[in-house]
Amino acid sequence: MMINSYSKSVYNIALNFFAERDIAQDVTQEIFIKIYHNLDKFREDKNFSSWIFTIARNHCIDYWRKNKKYFINTQELDEKISVNKPTPEENLINESEIDKLRKKISQLDPELRLILILRDIQDLSYQEIAKKFSVPEGTVKSRINRARLKLAQAYLREGI
Amino acid sequence: MSKKCKEIDSLLSAYLENDLSKEEAEDISSHLNACPECLCKKEKIEEIILKLSDLQEEVPFFLKNRLLNIPDMIEKRKAVKPLYFPKWLAAAVGTIILFLNLFYFTNIFPPVNREVHSVVSSIEKFFVKTGGWFEKVRESKELLFFTFFNKKSIGSKENKADQRNAIDKDFLKGGKNG
Repeated sequence: MMINSYSKSVYNIALNFFAERDIAQDVTQEIFIKIYHNLDKFREDKNFSSWIFTIARNHCIDYWRKNKKYFINTQELDEKISVNKPTPEENLINESEIDKLRKKISQLDPELRLILILRDIQDLSYQEIAKKFSVPEGTVKSRINRARLKLAQAYLREGI
Repeated sequence: MSKKCKEIDSLLSAYLENDLSKEEAEDISSHLNACPECLCKKEKIEEIILKLSDLQEEVPFFLKNRLLNIPDMIEKRKAVKPLYFPKWLAAAVGTIILFLNLFYFTNIFPPVNREVHSVVSSIEKFFVKTGGWFEKVRESKELLFFTFFNKKSIGSKENKADQRNAIDKDFLKGGKNG
């Protein structure tokens, strides 16, 4: 029941946070194991989906911090490859537009990444996001704006 | 980048989502008409927002299966509880054994060394006694077998030796013939 309701949302957070399917699948599994282990700690006066999201967010950020070196090295490698600009045909073969956008998202700060995923990918309202992050709505709006600007600048720098 | 461009940057999302007052929106529109750089940025953001909505994916089938198995897996793990052996106890036992060895093999504290040796020798005596007792039981079993069945027990030493001799003889025979 719980898995049917929340697996898609958790999997999409992980997938767009790390931009790698294998990692996203492992992380999703780890998040659900954590959820099951901590079910008795859930207080009924709290929102269940917010509680799940908090676990998912903390786990994604922890995983990213633990493997920061790997992720930074991968990013640097991607940047080096993009310097030797491939032809449009090569681009099409190497990477789909969606994968490229995911990679760009994964280069943002973790908090910006998560807020952007919730707003623009999972279509949550500013109010809901503010509740989940326990920050004022204005902060969410300015972070979303910053994330979008950074993405746009990254694309424009590459001349796409 | 001019001061106005920076100001526009911070309001672009609100402008795209119609979250500004009429005056503010008009102000931004007129700036966008005059500044190609900001216009380009605004168009890029619009394009990105459209693309972002396509990033949702269904959960792969095998991952869903893995997730559905989690409750069973956790139940099984809970059922098999590992033996609790505290670390401090292991450290204490290790330290005691280490010190006993030290006192046994060296003569730093002669009274302790003597005490340890006497304990070890009494343990040795105990094992010799019990070992002898086991030997007696085994011998009496052999005697019972011999008295009542007039043959040696299958597992006895003599029986085994006889079997080994028979095998050796067969081997030697084969060797001569071959």
